[in-house]
Amino acid sequence: MIDFKIKIGKMLWKNPVTVASGTFGLEFGELFDISQLGAIVTKTVTLHPKQGNAPPRIAETEAGLLNSIGLQNPGIENFIKTDLHEYRIIDTNLIVSISADSISQFGEVIQELERQSGIDGYEINVSCPNVESEGIIFGTDNKTVFKLVSMIKKTTERTVIVKLTPNLTSIENIARVAENAGADAISLINTVYGMAIDIETRKPKIKNVIAGYSGIGIKPIALQNVFRVAKVVKIPIIGMGGIRNTNDALEFIIAGATAVAVGTQNFVNPLSTLDIIQGLKKYLDEKKVQYKDLINSVNF
Amino acid sequence: MFYKVLPIVEKEVINNKYFIITFTNFEMAEQSCPGQFFKLKGLEQEFPILPRPFSVFKKEDSKLSFLIKVVGTATKNLSQLKIEERVALLGPLGNGFQIHNGKKVLIVSGGIGYAPLNFLRDGLNKADNEITFFHGGKNANDVFSKNIRIYTEDGSIGEKGLVTDGVEEFLSQNQIDVVYTCGPENMLRKVKEICEGFKTKLYMSMETVMACGIGSCCGCAIKVEENGKPVYKKVCKDGPVFDGYKIV
Ligand SMILES: Cc1cc2nc3c(=O)[nH]c(=O)nc-3n(C[C@H](O)[C@H](O)[C@H](O)COP(=O)(O)OP(=O)(O)OC[C@H]3O[C@@H](n4cnc5c(N)ncnc54)[C@H](O)[C@@H]3O)c2cc1C
Ligand SMILES: Cc1cc2nc3c(=O)[nH]c(=O)nc-3n(C[C@H](O)[C@H](O)[C@H](O)COP(=O)(O)O)c2cc1C
Ligand code: FES
Repeated sequence: MIDFKIKIGKMLWKNPVTVASGTFGLEFGELFDISQLGAIVTKTVTLHPKQGNAPPRIAETEAGLLNSIGLQNPGIENFIKTDLHEYRIIDTNLIVSISADSISQFGEVIQELERQSGIDGYEINVSCPNVESEGIIFGTDNKTVFKLVSMIKKTTERTVIVKLTPNLTSIENIARVAENAGADAISLINTVYGMAIDIETRKPKIKNVIAGYSGIGIKPIALQNVFRVAKVVKIPIIGMGGIRNTNDALEFIIAGATAVAVGTQNFVNPLSTLDIIQGLKKYLDEKKVQYKDLINSVNF
Repeated sequence: MFYKVLPIVEKEVINNKYFIITFTNFEMAEQSCPGQFFKLKGLEQEFPILPRPFSVFKKEDSKLSFLIKVVGTATKNLSQLKIEERVALLGPLGNGFQIHNGKKVLIVSGGIGYAPLNFLRDGLNKADNEITFFHGGKNANDVFSKNIRIYTEDGSIGEKGLVTDGVEEFLSQNQIDVVYTCGPENMLRKVKEICEGFKTKLYMSMETVMACGIGSCCGCAIKVEENGKPVYKKVCKDGPVFDGYKIV
């Protein structure tokens, strides 16, 4: 029997495979039994409903996807009334991804969710602007990340995962700050800044102009970020960025990720998470290696 | 909704722009209604990455056919597949057309917009509707059926002009309950303008770029009026068919 179980904070996962926030929803439950995933990460929810950015929001580029959804979501109150009811009965870990405009608003979102059962962890999406700090992205400022994560850790007993943006000069610094503030795990990477232009009309292909780049094209960027962070923190890493199949997932695990998340590939093959779970089992079996010995095992 | 890898069982090349591919699958065919679509991607074709949406063009027992126009890389890749080659299909997706019983119906089709409307015609026939079908294209290459009212911009077949030229006249001479339409944006806008004057029901099938295709990613947003306010709806799940008067 392959032992796949991993611990992320207080959560025990039956396998190390999950989905990347914003690329998955309850709809996938019509295609496969989603309780087979190690955990489910919801689309990011915010305090108030967000209508999202003007379209076009999606454009495919040479080696990946550009998106600027603008965190469209029904707001925490509606999320609790609708999706949460369905998510919490699924027999796996539920991680709610949250975001906000200010530290205090993050606190309000957590407080609402703390009153709800069936949630196992929070993923703190810090790739958004802090309106109290001239719109600077939360996840690019050490002090803000420290304050935010410390505050959240004081408010909840649940597992707290900080999701880092790669659009930084030093991801190691921010990762260390998150760990020192008490984060139970780190997930990375969020999308990389990107852009595409239609040369006939000279218009940006995404209405919002600057977009988030994801998919296979960002895999090397994501991988080196995981590798760097794994060297400086002790808490587990959930690695993501361009993972399409078992081989991609294995690279992340060897680079230092304890778990992996599939994002853009869910749009290509909605069952790819299942393929990866099977593929990892097969690899461990064939190589006669323990999963825990595979993590962070780059040979130089 | 199913995700399955299926071989192409039939392929018909109409001309250098259009082709039809057919698959056999009982469950997928059984669930498919007019106006719904599938995401398709050749199994061995890695790029472009995203599977593309295509409407059900025809359903016969377990057979599902798609009429596809070559416009870019994904459609070109699909056009190069041969019988027996495998394609990943996800669907049926979307809401489909609402079909009423025993109505007088006008279908207005432009170019590849013909695909979902062809399947719709079968559905409307089963519900005892009286159907008039108008179709427009740039030239004879964009025409897929002969026994309907045809308009081409160059007059190479049917009447010379835009399909919308005939719609206004037709509506002023005939009492029509419901108009169904799919085609290029300019055509849809014009159809809406005309129909407003005659107070028909209007169902419009819309297109956007799609990522997930199942309602999870919010990538396919379109602005629609709801309770007097503009809101974003998902073309893949709330649509692709909308009340034509509500499109902002
Ligand atoms: C619900 C729905 C049903 C559809 N049904 C059919 C169908 O039955 N038959 C058919 O041939 N096509 C259909 N389409 C359009 C089809 O999905 C696009 O033509 C296809 O995605 C283009 O892919 P490509 O890689 O070949 O072109 P790309 O390289 O992606 O694009 C080439 C050109 O086509 C335009 N384009 C790209 N995607 C779309 C799109 N979704 N809609 C309109 N223009 C687009 C681009 O702006 C560009 O100018 C449908 C689209 C939707 C949303
Ligand atoms: C359409 C889309 C929507 C996304 N929405 C969110 C989101 O709401 N919150 C978040 O933290 N990350 C979001 N992401 C980023 C992904 O979770 C992931 O970090 C990134 O896409 C890299 O992984 P991938 O290459 O496997 O997609 C989104 C990505 C895409 C493509
Ligand atoms: S394409 Fe993802 S919600 Fe419509």
